Amino acid sequence: MSERVKPDVGVAAAALDYDAELMLRVKEGDGASFAVLLDKYRLSVVHFLFRMVQNHAVAEELAQEVFLRVYRSRSSYEPTAKFTTWLFRIATHLALNAIRDARSEKSQERLDDDTSEMPLRQVSDHQPSIEQYMMYQARLDEVRHAIRTLPEKQRAAVLMHKYEEMEYAQIARVLNCSESAVKSLLFRAYETLRARLAHMA
Amino acid sequence: MKCPIQSPEHAERLLAYCAHKLDSRRAALLEEHIRNCPECADFVQGQRAVWQALDTWEAAPVSPDFDRRLYQRIQQEVSWWELLMRPLRPLVVRQGLPIAAAACVVMVAGFLLQRPAELPPVVVPAQVEASADQVEHAIDDMEILRELNHLVPPDASPRM
Repeated sequence: MSERVKPDVGVAAAALDYDAELMLRVKEGDGASFAVLLDKYRLSVVHFLFRMVQNHAVAEELAQEVFLRVYRSRSSYEPTAKFTTWLFRIATHLALNAIRDARSEKSQERLDDDTSEMPLRQVSDHQPSIEQYMMYQARLDEVRHAIRTLPEKQRAAVLMHKYEEMEYAQIARVLNCSESAVKSLLFRAYETLRARLAHMA
Repeated sequence: MKCPIQSPEHAERLLAYCAHKLDSRRAALLEEHIRNCPECADFVQGQRAVWQALDTWEAAPVSPDFDRRLYQRIQQEVSWWELLMRPLRPLVVRQGLPIAAAACVVMVAGFLLQRPAELPPVVVPAQVEASADQVEHAIDDMEILRELNHLVPPDASPRM
C-alpha cells in the first residue's frame, strides 16, 4: 500500500467530513489512511457490537468483518453520507444478522452467558471487595438483561444514541428509517428501560 | 409550554435535557416546567437512573492482536487476488507491453504480406556413386528382361 496520495483527493468529501476524505484516499490506494480510520473507530465499533451481541469474541469477529468490508468496498466508495453512518450501517447490519442467526440456532443462551470476559470495574481507588464486586456484577447483569430484551432496532438505536452520541438524523440513516421513527423507537426503548432500571438510581 | 411527555416527538427535549445536551435557555424553560409537572419530573428522574445504569456497563478492551488479525485477512484476500491475476499481471501492470506486443504483431503481419511467395526449393540430384559391380548387375538384369520380352507373345496380358 502506498503512502499519501494526491492532496486534492476528495475535495467534495472534505466538506462532508474528514473521515470520508480519508476513505477516498484509501480508495486511491493509501493504506495509511485506512490505518487512521481503523485506529479511530476500532474501539467504538467493537464496543457497539459487543453491546449488541453481548459476546466479546463474536463482537471482535464481527468488527473484523466490518473493517474488511470497508476495505473491500474502497474502490466503489462514494461519500454520499458521513463515514460513520456508513460504518455503523455495516456494523448494525452484521449485528442484527448475528443476533437472528444465534436465535435461529437457539444458541442465544451461549452468547448471553458470556460474562467471563467482562472487565472488572474499579468501584473505588482500592481493590473492590467481594461484596462490591458482586453488587457491581448484579447491576451489570440487570443492565445487560434490560438491553438484551429490547427489540433489535430499539437496542441498536439506544446504543447509538447513548454510547456513540449520534444525532437522530444519523441514527435514522443507519437504521434506514425516518427521523420520527427513530424518536419513537428511542421513546419506547427508554420507557422500557426506565421501568426496568429506575430502581438502580 | 406544552408538556413534552405528551408525545414522542416532544419527549426528545426531555431526553436531551437528561443527557445535558440542551442549551441553557431551553434547559431553564424545561426546568421551570418540570417543577410544576410531576409526570415530567418522574420521567427525568427515571431517565437519569437509566443513564447512570448504562454508564456502569463498560465494554471489554479490544484484543491486542485485533489489527494483526485484520491485516492478515486483508493480506490473504490480496494474495488470492494476486494468485488469480498472476498470469495476466505482466500484461496488466506494464502498460507499455500490450502496445509493444501489438506493434510487433502488426510488423510481422506486414512483413509476411509484403514477402513474395516462396519458390520451391531447387532439388539438387544427389550424385550416386555406383560401383562397377552394381552397373554390371543392372545391365545383366536389363538383358534378362529383354530376353523374356522376346519369349512372351505381344498379345499376352496378365490374368487378373
